[in-house]
Amino acid sequence: MKIAILLKQVPVKDATLELNGDGTWIDEDDVQFEINDSDHYGLAEALNIAKDNDGEVTVVTMGPDRVKESIKQALAKGAHQAIHINDEDVKSSDPLTRAKIIAEAVKGENFDLILSGLQSDDYGYGQTGVLVAEMLGMPHATLVVETEINGDKIKVKRELEGGWFQNIELPLPAVLSIQSGLTDIPYATIKGIMMAKKKPVADVEADDLGVELEGGAFKLEKIYTPVKSKETAVLKGDADSVVPQIIDKLKNAAKVL
Amino acid sequence: MKDDKTLSFMKSLFMGEIQQEILFPYPQQDEDEKENLKMILQAWNEFAENSVDPVEIDKIAQIPDEVMDGMKEIGMFGLPISDEYEGAGVSKTSYCRVFEEICRYDTGIAVMFGAHASIGTNGIVLFGTEKQKAKYLPKLASGEYVAAFALTEPGAGSDAAGIKTKAVLNKNKTAFILNGEKIWITNGGVAQIATVFAKTTVQQNGEEKEKITAFIVELDSEGVSRGKKEHKLGIRGSNTASLNFDNVVVPVENMLGPIGKGFLVAMETLNTGRLGLAAGCIGGMKELLRQAMDHAKSREQFQKTLDRFQLIKQKIAKIASETYALESIVYLTTGLHDKGGIDVSLESAICKIYGSEVVWDASDEVVQIAGGLGYSADYPYERYLRDARIHRIFEGTNEILRMFVALSGIQGPGEYLKNVGKALRNPIKGFGLLTGFAAGKVKDTIARDELKNVCEELKEEAEQFNALVARLAAITESVLRKYGKKIIVEQYTLNRIANIAIELLGMAAVISRVDTRLKEGKSIEKDLPLAKLFCNEAASRARREARYVDRNHDKERSEIAEFLSETGKYPMDMLMEK
Repeated sequence: MKIAILLKQVPVKDATLELNGDGTWIDEDDVQFEINDSDHYGLAEALNIAKDNDGEVTVVTMGPDRVKESIKQALAKGAHQAIHINDEDVKSSDPLTRAKIIAEAVKGENFDLILSGLQSDDYGYGQTGVLVAEMLGMPHATLVVETEINGDKIKVKRELEGGWFQNIELPLPAVLSIQSGLTDIPYATIKGIMMAKKKPVADVEADDLGVELEGGAFKLEKIYTPVKSKETAVLKGDADSVVPQIIDKLKNAAKVL
Repeated sequence: MKDDKTLSFMKSLFMGEIQQEILFPYPQQDEDEKENLKMILQAWNEFAENSVDPVEIDKIAQIPDEVMDGMKEIGMFGLPISDEYEGAGVSKTSYCRVFEEICRYDTGIAVMFGAHASIGTNGIVLFGTEKQKAKYLPKLASGEYVAAFALTEPGAGSDAAGIKTKAVLNKNKTAFILNGEKIWITNGGVAQIATVFAKTTVQQNGEEKEKITAFIVELDSEGVSRGKKEHKLGIRGSNTASLNFDNVVVPVENMLGPIGKGFLVAMETLNTGRLGLAAGCIGGMKELLRQAMDHAKSREQFQKTLDRFQLIKQKIAKIASETYALESIVYLTTGLHDKGGIDVSLESAICKIYGSEVVWDASDEVVQIAGGLGYSADYPYERYLRDARIHRIFEGTNEILRMFVALSGIQGPGEYLKNVGKALRNPIKGFGLLTGFAAGKVKDTIARDELKNVCEELKEEAEQFNALVARLAAITESVLRKYGKKIIVEQYTLNRIANIAIELLGMAAVISRVDTRLKEGKSIEKDLPLAKLFCNEAASRARREARYVDRNHDKERSEIAEFLSETGKYPMDMLMEK
């Protein structure tokens, strides 16, 4: 059974973030990166399914050269091989373009299952897995909390709102996005670390996949740090003088009257 | 002097010679190893962050099973064991860096781990036969077996050669029968195997002699019993217990190293173990600094946070510069060890002495910075103090190690192990074994050597170092002329010589580290104040020790101590006397 896990590299959780020059993204120069938290759960599920079904797990990661480190880490945690889609120059951020690139890169691999995490810690769109499924014409399920392979089908349990769950069955191949927090995330073993560099990593250039990289579905115009907008005013005086002031504030400043 | 066998930076210093080719450039890990190390640290941190609770471990005085199992699962137990035997086979440098990180979370875990992966396993790694390695190392690597090192006895602590445990060969020469008691054994209550040292009868020149031999003993063997867990001041998570051997049958194939060579096995095993311990102290120092800064930056007095006061700055700067020096000597030594062909026994001993003392001072100062909170058991500070105290005692007390450093140093390179061991056991007879030590020979080799091409930024520090090396060599020569064979009992003097040597290694390592960084085009902006503060403090301490060699109050010291030995108590009662 061939399983892919779409794994993203994002800035570490406690990184100090500065905006870049044109205010379209963060300045990545002094930032450390790590595997996106949600993707750990996807990887955990992929490894569990592989273990029970004699499967092989392929890590699929898009990004510049620095993502090799996260790839190696996933390999150290037990994945068998990896595909690195190098987009050094692309910096495509919209999920549609990214999904097109990923779909092109993996379509020849004939994966039985493609897993992703819930969402990424950087942009947080939560769309990539579903879009890849659509492009490959595969069925998909999101917020998956349990899986069970059943011949050429897969039974999944999805978490709905209000404590409800849904049990459905999908034909394979399928794409699942895995809910976070339900399994233990796998630790890299030291032996795994030592073996990781011997595992195959296929390099694919995003430019070579025939996807239109310019433009995209949308463009990020500007990001900014939240501006402090709340203000506390202390009104002084006796009741007669304060009440008109409060009414004025509620009418003209807060606009609730 | 410079044949490979005797290549040793510290030993050459006693002769006034500075082996720059050993010191420069400061050792570096290759990129591959660095990357692996980074990932190992990450794996450990991910695990420890979720699973290690030092407060709980201290309270229940036990390392929870989940922590032990998790560490085994990650593969920590096999960290230094070669991949041939299913370990990870990391270098000493990587091992020490990981050990540092373990200690940062919990010293008790670090001590358990060191007893297993370092002194518990090293005997087999260094002296084991192919068969012994194949039988035990994979199990030690997986953690199926936890290891211990059993040398100390009720009557033999520092005087390790004085052990009474006996191993007698049975009639058909298939096994030794082991009888005796070992105390203070780390992992004693939880280990599956132990390296045990016992006296055996050896034929030497037609005579029967009692000599120490090492054995691998499986602790589930009949006749082995374990004492109850010791209640300790600190490192409470680690298990310390006695081991009793009552007619335990140890197959001859479990003899470790040649018969009668157990003392060598013990000393070599401990030599390599000391580096891990010193690395643990780096982890402790870093964590102490973090805790101290957390407090000092938030606690306000006189409308200022504590970190704004000079007397707090003084403490912080001292701890930070000593951390820098400790890091510098430990990773210089591990780097030289990994390079191979260089004797680092003195350097390792110095790392242990220095690390254990600065981490103790630092934990004391951090309690002081925390004030009343420092004394409260509801805060972590007092635990660091308790945990840090053991380092000066175990794996060779700092007193014994200072004698070892001074005696090995003045003995000159070569055969230090056998001879110093003997010399310590039997001072007068032992000195004859301090081979080739003619004072004249020393004199011939004393030429004022200098650090060459040291960067401009540390020129003054290098000059102080050069002067002190010459001073050490001169002192070595003069005390030998003065005391001759009796130098061995002149512990006041040996102690001073050792103290000078300790400071010199610190200075050398720090200078090499900064100089190498600069020559590689890296910034030394953060390094310089740390390096300068340490080097100048170290040099002035060393000069003071050197002064005291000739001008001191040792006579009064001895008089006082002897007076107390006679009376057993303070001899006066000022207000009550007639």
